[in-house]
Amino acid sequence: MAKEATAPTLYTVAAPPHWHCGRTVTGVMQQYILALVPAAVMAVVYYGLPALRVMALSCATAVAVEALCCRVMDRESSVDDFHAVLVGLLLAFLLPAMAPWWLVVMGSALAIIIGKMFFGGLGGNPLCPAVVGWAIVALSWKTQADPDAMVLSTMLVNPLTQLKYLGLEAAGQVSLTDMLLGRQLGGLGATQVLALFAGGFYLISRGLLRCYVPLAFLAGVLLAGLAFSLADPGAQPGPLFHLFTGSVVLAAFFLATDPSSSPVTRPGMVAFGLTAGVMTVLIRVYGIYPDGTPFAVLFAALFTPVFDLLRPKPFGAR
Amino acid sequence: MSFVKEFAKGLWKELPPFRLVLGLCPTLAVTKSAADGLGMGAAVIFVLVLSNAIISMVRKIIPKKVRIACFIVIAASLVVAVELLMQAYAYPLYQSLGIFVPLIVVNCIILGRAEAFASKNPVHLSIADGLGMGIGFTMSLTFLGALREVFGAGKLFGATVFGPDFKPFTFMVEAPGAFVCLGLILGAMNYLAIWQSKRKGLPEPSLAASCGGCRACSIGESKQIMQEG
Repeated sequence: MAKEATAPTLYTVAAPPHWHCGRTVTGVMQQYILALVPAAVMAVVYYGLPALRVMALSCATAVAVEALCCRVMDRESSVDDFHAVLVGLLLAFLLPAMAPWWLVVMGSALAIIIGKMFFGGLGGNPLCPAVVGWAIVALSWKTQADPDAMVLSTMLVNPLTQLKYLGLEAAGQVSLTDMLLGRQLGGLGATQVLALFAGGFYLISRGLLRCYVPLAFLAGVLLAGLAFSLADPGAQPGPLFHLFTGSVVLAAFFLATDPSSSPVTRPGMVAFGLTAGVMTVLIRVYGIYPDGTPFAVLFAALFTPVFDLLRPKPFGAR
Repeated sequence: MSFVKEFAKGLWKELPPFRLVLGLCPTLAVTKSAADGLGMGAAVIFVLVLSNAIISMVRKIIPKKVRIACFIVIAASLVVAVELLMQAYAYPLYQSLGIFVPLIVVNCIILGRAEAFASKNPVHLSIADGLGMGIGFTMSLTFLGALREVFGAGKLFGATVFGPDFKPFTFMVEAPGAFVCLGLILGAMNYLAIWQSKRKGLPEPSLAASCGGCRACSIGESKQIMQEG
């Protein structure tokens, strides 16, 4: 861009359309971050300053790494569109509040490098960057990325781990109200259910988020949870338990809806959300991970090109 | 002169896994450690050199229509030989390579070199080609194995590299780590190639991954010519 103009009278003419509604990438990203603020505040309330430390470190690393990547790739820096901040914040929400600094730095850097910049930056990523970063660190450092092993100085319990290892009765000690208010152990922001619901509905009401993916995701979790609890009521909790635990709400509103890794057509979005939701419960019931939500999101995102084939018939087509 | 040329091309210019992007199954599956990569490479050198030599010797007798079957039979007999040798003299290596030793038969490098080179060239050149390709393959596998072992387990050929505080980056020795590493290396090779040709003032080279300059197209072309002729 810094090349000298060859002719003195060279006017910049943007491509049409020449009027638009004023919505910009930067603006949308800022609104997303605003929608995450309640959950971030709740996380600081429950976990104290360590949570703030993880979030700040993750965001800062993401921005620095993206700036560095842009420099290496010899392109205009894209950090001012706030997407890196959003990725960093979402990644921090999935990590335990006491995560060691190097884990946060690695996760955030890998989310930006492997999840986003390898594919050409915003809009090119086939998977949600924050989930990619989380998956890599969670596979590599199982103990350090596990809230149950890291956050010891708390009275909160993780209902999912209780369910996995101690059975339904132990999981029942966390009431649904507690879960809603975030009084459960998990990723530092992922478990602030009510705050995340508020943020999600804010985005939907502002028209920044189409409701198909989140609603289909939640419906998928509820349906699969209901099916399992009806099949085996003695060992499986009710569908609302699955809805309010782990990172389901965060995934439904913020991770699965990542614009470039989710389908664009309405039937595609519904199928995508249902797949991710049902996969979540399947991983929880049959998998080795207590909460498989991010893996379910990755799994569904792999099928996005297929879901995109589910499109309405064009008018007049045979 | 051409002997040296055929030998040297496998070492960098047509490095099998990273330039030709051939033989990816062992490249991805058995490079959890540098030693595994080296052992696999040695087995492939053995099979590749001998199969190239034998195929080149009998290339005038093999009927065109059944040549693939003949190549496979020759490669398979050599692989069985290498498998038995490994069981006899390197049993731990055999155990750690597992199913991937018999799978050398279907390794694209063996068949690819037989089809693209040995079936058209005299014996001494075929041996040079096999040796160069084999050594290039071994180098690549050992390099990738070392990379993954150092970061994924903190070791190199079994010896600890980092201090006790190092937490192994297990992702690297898992399956997805192999894909990411391979992609990174391919990218680095392309970057190097572009940089080199820029420095020499040449036009941008054709790159691995997009096309590879692997001469696979020339295989297709020769096939067409054969069908037409």
